[in-house]
Amino acid sequence: MTALEGQGVPAVYVASTEFVEAAAAQARSLGFEPAGVFVAHPIQDRTDAEMHALADAALDAVWARLTE
Amino acid sequence: MTRTELLDPTSERQPAARQRVARPASLRGLTVGLLDISKPRGDVFLDRLEELLAGRGVEVLRFHKPTFTKPAPADLRQEVASRCEAVVEALAD
Amino acid sequence: MVVPALARLRDSGAALTIFTQEDPDFPPGLGAVDDTDLRRSYEAGVEIVPTLLTVESGRVTGTLQGWLRADWERVTGVPGLGEGLPEHRAGCGSRTLDPGMPEVLSARFRGETLRSRRIEVGDLEDDFEAMEARGWTDGLPVEPPTRERVFRMLQGTLRDPQEVVAVVPPDLVECTVEKVAINAVLAGCRPEYLPVVLTAVEAACTGEFNMHGLLATTWSSGPVVIVNGPIAARIGMNSGGNALGQGSRANATIGRALQLVVRNVGGGRPGGVDRATHGNPGKYTFCFAEDERGSPWEPLAVHRGMAPGSSAVTLFAGSGLQPVADQLSRMPESLARTYAACLQAVAHPKLALAWDAVLVVSPEHGRVFREAGWSRARLQGELDALLRRPGSELVRGAGGIAEGMPAALADADVPKFRRDGLLIVHAGGTAGLFSAIIGGWVSGATGSEPVTREVRE
Repeated sequence: MTALEGQGVPAVYVASTEFVEAAAAQARSLGFEPAGVFVAHPIQDRTDAEMHALADAALDAVWARLTE
Repeated sequence: MTRTELLDPTSERQPAARQRVARPASLRGLTVGLLDISKPRGDVFLDRLEELLAGRGVEVLRFHKPTFTKPAPADLRQEVASRCEAVVEALAD
Repeated sequence: MVVPALARLRDSGAALTIFTQEDPDFPPGLGAVDDTDLRRSYEAGVEIVPTLLTVESGRVTGTLQGWLRADWERVTGVPGLGEGLPEHRAGCGSRTLDPGMPEVLSARFRGETLRSRRIEVGDLEDDFEAMEARGWTDGLPVEPPTRERVFRMLQGTLRDPQEVVAVVPPDLVECTVEKVAINAVLAGCRPEYLPVVLTAVEAACTGEFNMHGLLATTWSSGPVVIVNGPIAARIGMNSGGNALGQGSRANATIGRALQLVVRNVGGGRPGGVDRATHGNPGKYTFCFAEDERGSPWEPLAVHRGMAPGSSAVTLFAGSGLQPVADQLSRMPESLARTYAACLQAVAHPKLALAWDAVLVVSPEHGRVFREAGWSRARLQGELDALLRRPGSELVRGAGGIAEGMPAALADADVPKFRRDGLLIVHAGGTAGLFSAIIGGWVSGATGSEPVTREVRE
């Protein structure tokens, strides 16, 4: 993520809410806070339909993080 | 771990934190890369995201990290950076 | 060693507080206060241990350094101190003055007097990558400006760190001594270079030098710093072989510090306000000292009005180096013609009056003028005469070249340089029948005037 932004490419990550603290800690360590969108945990046992719903819900936030 | 503290050599008119790179006004008509970090179910999420973005006029390219345990290899990062105008990395859990 | 005296003072009931720098349990049994972090010693300015301070209402009213029985008895009013001790012992150096400690202690106790924003580097970030990612560099690595380094740098000047040195373009930012010091650390300067850097920043930010215009131009130019006076040798500048090249830390870092101030404080950088088509390598750094000892003439700064023996910097808007070869002219007239022929080509042979230049005369060429007894004024006058060309040669279209002077000048005699637009300086190695020309930028009121300023320590 940091590398892509460093090369001038706007980037956003999508992660489950379990990741919120880890992402903050990593941002402090790297001296840089990448753009992120958090989706509801859990992930791994979701059906396809549920995953699609997560994507539908995340779309606007992803779009917003990649545009001015 | 001790962090190095440096004195700011600038005019301090910009925020102290490293800023993200400038964003375009819209993704419509741009090439956006979807980078699958290879955790389970991420591909299903990204399939749907691809559909939705394409529906909004975005040119989507798909990429795939060989394993989620290690950072993306340099040549994959280079390829993504050179072919895409924006990137979504998913799905970490 | 003075423990017996301290014990006697304690017993006598004197209001005695003992601070100990090294071992909190020493002296034993006397209730010493732990000053191993050296705060109290630092604040009291202790230089020798033992030091006896008299304190009244919280203020230090007297200082005794070392052990002298007569003084200690007089000051404390307690007789019979230090039985068994000699009359006098000089004491040892205070830990506050151990090598490196002054800067560490300044950072520890006076860190808050530095006003610049603190930037924390993430613990997984590499310091050098972090600085580059933040845009602080000229493309080459810079030295991390920690508080200790900045304090050490500030020892190089008597000026107050919050004194405003200049208003730096293009963002027109008030730049303090502290900000210059931080950029001097970035550049790799030693503290003794700081006065020269400060003067260069002052000179560069004057209206006459026009740093803003110089930055924003599409021309190749950048600030060139020429140093005169005793400070040059004192700080190890190079005025001899390869003086305009690499290898001298002072030459390299002083010029670089000025560029970093313009970039970081002023906000002027390529892709932003800096629109240079090509630039030139001198925009990393371009700074050298004049070789005064070997020169046939008075120093450039003295010629420009500074007092002989003073130290000064001259800022010139320069665009790289054009070497001049002349290995056969033994007579000054011939060598002057070589110079004129090469100087005519600055920017374009058919363009006159718009560009200044610096002629860097080498020792081997300088000898030609010295042996013929030519003063600076004589050479200057000769060059002025040789650098006049008939307007008909210079006008647009002449010689099949569209570029040139306006047609109205066709019947005039046109000098290449405006009055005082050609500066002559003496520098370089003792081997080489070559000199060099540093072409300028747009000269005069619309462009840049060379500026000379005295160095203030």
